[in-house]
Amino acid sequence: MRASDRLTVWCRRIAVMTRKELLQLFRDVPLMGFLIYSFTLSVYVTGNGIQTQLKNAGLLVSDADRSVSSRELISRFHPPYFRFDGELTHPNEGFLRLDRGSSMMVLDIPSRFHEALAAGEPTAVQLLVDTTNSPQGLSAAGYAARIVGQFSQELIMTRNGQTGSSSTTVPMILSDHRVWFNQDQNETWFESISHLLRMVTIFAVLLPAAALVREKERGTVEQLLVSPLTPAQIMLPKVVAMTLVILGATAVALFGVMLPVFGVPIRGSIALLFCLTAVFIVATAGIGVFASTVTKNQAQVGMMTLLVVAPMLLLSGIFTPLETMPAWVRYLMALSPLRYFIEIATGILLKGIGLEMLWSQALSMVALGGSLFGFGMWRFRRQFE
Amino acid sequence: MNLGRVAAVSFKEWREVTRDRMFLLLAFCMPAVWMFVFGYGLVLDVENISFVVVDRDHSSLSRDYLYRFYQSRYFSFQGELTGEGKADAWLQSGKARAVIILPEKFQERLLSGQPAKVQTLIDGTFPLRADITKGYVIAINNAFNMDLLADHLGRTRGLSHDEAIRRTRPLGLEVRYLYNEEVRSAWSTVPALIMFSLMVSSPLLTALGLVREKETGSIYNIYSATVSRMEFLVGKLVPYVMISAVNAMVLWLMAVFLFAVPFKGNLLLFFATSVLFVLTSTGIGLVVSLLVSTQQAALIITVVVSTVPTILFSGLIVPVSSLSQAAQFQAHLFPGMYYTNIVRGTFLKNVGPAVLWPDVLALAIYAAVLGTIGYRLFTKRPSV
Repeated sequence: MRASDRLTVWCRRIAVMTRKELLQLFRDVPLMGFLIYSFTLSVYVTGNGIQTQLKNAGLLVSDADRSVSSRELISRFHPPYFRFDGELTHPNEGFLRLDRGSSMMVLDIPSRFHEALAAGEPTAVQLLVDTTNSPQGLSAAGYAARIVGQFSQELIMTRNGQTGSSSTTVPMILSDHRVWFNQDQNETWFESISHLLRMVTIFAVLLPAAALVREKERGTVEQLLVSPLTPAQIMLPKVVAMTLVILGATAVALFGVMLPVFGVPIRGSIALLFCLTAVFIVATAGIGVFASTVTKNQAQVGMMTLLVVAPMLLLSGIFTPLETMPAWVRYLMALSPLRYFIEIATGILLKGIGLEMLWSQALSMVALGGSLFGFGMWRFRRQFE
Repeated sequence: MNLGRVAAVSFKEWREVTRDRMFLLLAFCMPAVWMFVFGYGLVLDVENISFVVVDRDHSSLSRDYLYRFYQSRYFSFQGELTGEGKADAWLQSGKARAVIILPEKFQERLLSGQPAKVQTLIDGTFPLRADITKGYVIAINNAFNMDLLADHLGRTRGLSHDEAIRRTRPLGLEVRYLYNEEVRSAWSTVPALIMFSLMVSSPLLTALGLVREKETGSIYNIYSATVSRMEFLVGKLVPYVMISAVNAMVLWLMAVFLFAVPFKGNLLLFFATSVLFVLTSTGIGLVVSLLVSTQQAALIITVVVSTVPTILFSGLIVPVSSLSQAAQFQAHLFPGMYYTNIVRGTFLKNVGPAVLWPDVLALAIYAAVLGTIGYRLFTKRPSV
């Protein structure tokens, strides 16, 4: 047989097997329904719903002064960051409300607050913060410090006989910060992108893992093994079929929800994005393939993959910034394709950069996927011996 | 309901679980491994924000100012650029998350009593990080301003240093942190991780165990046996509830002894509600397993249904109060949120049933509803 013939046969076998995998997938109605839900409604609710910045932090006020100054200070704790939950009539009520978790903090303004400020005596207000959720608590305290700082600065200005317009005669740094790539700090963009990646990861690991083990569990893999198919021809079509399905779902999420509803920009090359998404899906599927060769049944492979997927989802930098992680987690996450792909996805979509800046991330994904597949292929034959 | 038959089904299920050594191992290890990895790894304080500077002034005051960033543990200095033009590439490649640009005549203007504008460019791709970075920059600027002002007052009004400082701080803010007094990240994440581990692992255990019988066809033995629907379901669930209840105890021990999170509340309340919670999470697995016919579908649907809302909508990191209306609605549909309140309440707040009863009630209703749905969906006479 000539080389070209062999190639046609090889391709035809892959095509036939891919078709078989696609048929098998599409026949599973609940699964397909769920796939559609995950890439449409779920992306919408999450993109719209998650707000990581401080929002609606419930504030209770105990105002012992009831003066112009105290009211002025309270009015600065405003939405969307804070939610005014009312005034306390009894001091103990504050603790009770915090215990119940219906409010997050209590601002305590002392009596003679206005007098002290007017007389130039230093005074202080107290803030009780619920830190059962520590980042939120810290963030709320930080905002409060900013508000009180601003309030003091204005006091100093007026006290030194200067009104707003002549503040130019005071030495101070004017903070001029610009947020790039997402000027309005629109959270829907990042949250919808990260949710899409979350879904792609889950499906890319679990679908091929379960499909491969199922053949093993039911014994149909024996039929495939005695056929002229090589291990690569058995494994590749599964991954190709799943990749096609997930890529299609990604396109639906991107063009059906994220672009029209959230206005996520595509500043870079859309073709590059889809190429690298395919690389990402294949690399991530490598984890599933690998897991499928060390397990015997679907229950095992399910547990095994979830054991790995949960840390990937939480620690790859799509949930909290990678900078926050301890060094060992950052080293561990070098093994997670998602850690590279989040940079690629936000880079292409939001920053508009191309391969010239993303080559190292792309290469890492290729290397990871390649070694996982290589190992899976090697194990595939051996596992039956 | 014949308890003997329930016991027989449970025993059969238990043997099936124990015979599969790897499954058994994973069933007990998974929550503990997660607790370990996330307890140490899921740190939420944003530190080490990489930044570069463009200092056009190169004066002693500009170095003074930048020194505050170099010293801060929140920032990590990457280098000095010669011009603003290069800032683009640093931000685009992600090598720097912020660029600080000091103007010419920075020192001259400030010393002559005029304001100076400092520009900060922040990478906004990750809004949370951008917001926190902005907060840190503002805090450093404010502190620097206070010192500048104190110096200025001292020089122009001839005040003593202390008096000048007193004048620049007319209003202070005393913050008292409650429940987690030292604001340790682990104290707030570890209790919530008990919720996470149980919520994600137990539905999967159950769903896989049930669908396996359907897929392999061994369920026909049950269809033709004398065991009733109720007896079968209860018997089938008992081993999985037990595994998860043991896991709850292990996770509690890890939280208290390994991570040294104080447990201030009522232990009995904690364990009782944990069992209730485990019932609801196994119930989710039960319902999923009755709706699908393949383990592949059971696996993926359970993972998506249990993992995603647990990460996003259960108060693990993002508080439910800051979610949008639709997301809050979804949060209330999943049991994770109620149990998070209970876990944090019993661990850190020392609150009892008087405060937590709505959450406990919600879990009980949840368990009852799931149980009823499961009972309704399960039939011994399937149409196909």
